[in-house]
Amino acid sequence: MSNEVMNKEKWVLLFKEIGLDEATMTRWHREFEARYPDGHQSFLEWLNIGEDEIRHIRAL
Amino acid sequence: MQMFTIGKVAKKYSLSRSTLIYYDMIGVLTPSGRSESNYRLYSDSDLKKMDRIQLFRSTGLSLEAIELLLQTESSELSSTLESRLFAINNEIEKLRDQQKVILKILENEILDKNTRVITKGVWVSMLEAAGLDEKGMKNWHVEFEKNSPEAHQDFLESIGIDKDEISAIRDWSRAEC
Repeated sequence: MSNEVMNKEKWVLLFKEIGLDEATMTRWHREFEARYPDGHQSFLEWLNIGEDEIRHIRAL
Repeated sequence: MQMFTIGKVAKKYSLSRSTLIYYDMIGVLTPSGRSESNYRLYSDSDLKKMDRIQLFRSTGLSLEAIELLLQTESSELSSTLESRLFAINNEIEKLRDQQKVILKILENEILDKNTRVITKGVWVSMLEAAGLDEKGMKNWHVEFEKNSPEAHQDFLESIGIDKDEISAIRDWSRAEC
């Protein structure tokens, strides 16, 4: 792994730059959770999001 | 002179004690000494004999044939062949070790792939779910590369894409900038 840290802010910025708005992102999390719950969890962990926030996002 | 107990010899050759006792009984290998309490004791030359027995065993020779071989004065030809046999056995041993190492690596590789939670397929289908078409995904790579090139590399590695494909993706991402 590189030293460059990927975090939630950078990721959200990235998604915004390609034209995804907040509502789409929320829908996207729901979709991710429904289809690949384990994948969703590990993706959020990769973004260094804390346990509590992960729980919150997965429950959206 | 150093003498070895039956336990030590058994361990050295990965044999059971009962095998060694059997070899003694049938006269293939009789230890040259006994301890005060009458335990079998093997000398260096007993061990040399044991080396040859193991060597012959590895070729599938019967114990009867081995006994005959051990009794016969060895000619120059047969000792040359014996040392060649030793060399071949060593080679086989080395190859077996390599085989084990390779199998281990392959096993880990397979395990790694199977336990990967997010694969390329999962990711593509999730980008599609976000409404991205092929052009949108291309765009995503371009922005990812522009903003966080190293994380882009990490991410692609983490979803199991191979080295060549990763460098191809990053190349065209940079070209689009």
